[in-house]
Amino acid sequence: MKTATRRVTTFGLPAIMMIAGMPTAAQAHLVDTRLGDFYGGALHPLTDFEQILPWVALAALAAFQGPQRARWMIVVFPLALLAGGAASLALPNPPFAPILGISLVAITGLALAAAVRLPLPVLLAIAAVMGLLHGYQNGEAMVASTDQLLFLSGVTAIGYAVLTLVTGTAIAFLRGAGGWRPIALRAGGSWVAAVGIMVLGLQLVTPAAS
Amino acid sequence: MAVITLREIAPGRYLGQWTMPPADMTLQPIFPPHCTWEPPELICGERGLVGRLSFMGLGKNQSVATIRVVPHGGPMEAYTVSVAKPFATAARDPGTDLAVWLDLAETYVNLGIDHILRGIDHLLFVLGLIWLVRSGWMLVRTITAFTIGHSLSLAAATFGWVGIPERPLNATIALSIVFVGVEIVKLQRGEVGLTARYPWSVAFAFGLLHGLGFATALTALGIPQATLPIALLFFNVGVEIGQLSFVMVVLALIWAHRQAKAELPRWGAALPAYAIGGIASFWFLIRI
Repeated sequence: MKTATRRVTTFGLPAIMMIAGMPTAAQAHLVDTRLGDFYGGALHPLTDFEQILPWVALAALAAFQGPQRARWMIVVFPLALLAGGAASLALPNPPFAPILGISLVAITGLALAAAVRLPLPVLLAIAAVMGLLHGYQNGEAMVASTDQLLFLSGVTAIGYAVLTLVTGTAIAFLRGAGGWRPIALRAGGSWVAAVGIMVLGLQLVTPAAS
Repeated sequence: MAVITLREIAPGRYLGQWTMPPADMTLQPIFPPHCTWEPPELICGERGLVGRLSFMGLGKNQSVATIRVVPHGGPMEAYTVSVAKPFATAARDPGTDLAVWLDLAETYVNLGIDHILRGIDHLLFVLGLIWLVRSGWMLVRTITAFTIGHSLSLAAATFGWVGIPERPLNATIALSIVFVGVEIVKLQRGEVGLTARYPWSVAFAFGLLHGLGFATALTALGIPQATLPIALLFFNVGVEIGQLSFVMVVLALIWAHRQAKAELPRWGAALPAYAIGGIASFWFLIRI
């Protein structure tokens, strides 16, 4: 190691000093002149209450299932988002999407309020359907000039980040002392369920408005 | 980035020209109401070019645009507008006007944040450092050393004291990320590499290198010498805010993964290091 360090000092430093002593305009880093479709994709779901609310509820629901099951969400949900976004490039918009989207809010909220112990395949199925649907809805936001790869990467990354952070926080929260903690999460779930059921009712009563 | 230069040809009359044209011509400058813009001429009358400056169409293909003003017989002024900070205020004497200084601060802090968040190679290097240095205080020291390093070289490059041609600099930055990837693999094999032994000094050395890269965003704007130090300071603050935000998000994600017992199995522990090294090697090859 000492020899290597000496070699770097002997040859490396003079070379660096020589290059640095010939000033020209410094031009580097992968800075593009665009706003950035990656961040556009990452921010897009966060601006939609109908998406971020069930994500949080889903992550809390997963936390109730214990870390062994919850950790699968970190993989399945972002991949489903990516698949849904990719599907939006090729497949037409399913007519049942709005109803399904709101139903998922209500279902996730109800499951969280009840703190049901779901079989792993059922939990993953909910995550996969929600991911596919929301991925599709986000993918639809792309326009001709959007860099599809960057945008969908942004959507996937934010899905991963939100699910991971909320799941981890909810697990840590539930692990803390006090019987009020699960009740607090379940109460949150009941609010999500209430929002979902109300919006679903409005959708069914006034389908033209959707 | 787009730059339009306005040269004062008579009191209150300017001749405008795109010195760095936008990607498409939907980007148009918007001048204060008392000015009349009939390209290439801008007429502002006795008041001169004073007031709010912005761009229509910013955010479509350009995230940053600059209006350079070359007054008759005076020093050049530059007003940078970005998506995050969509207008700038032109004043007759920017040296005494608090609003203009605040305006400068907002502009360059936002520019620094934007720059670091879009600098995927820089973020990958920081990610490698986080991966390599898991203990709290050592990570703080390492990131601080990296910050000091890139602040020094950014200042030196922006003032024109040092500079490295684009291609070797880009390639060396990519190589620095490869180096970190290799060091992570070494550490996982139980070998104590240079970075594991002296993380802060390695971070400082590579910080010097990355700082030269940051200078791109500032030198391309053509900031006048009078406002260069303050622009540099605020740009650095922005870079730091962006970098710390990234570090906090990564640390929070690592914590969340631990809570969910979602850590990589032993056989896959080296995968992130290979991913970092692989991507950086690809960049190195395409940059040389």
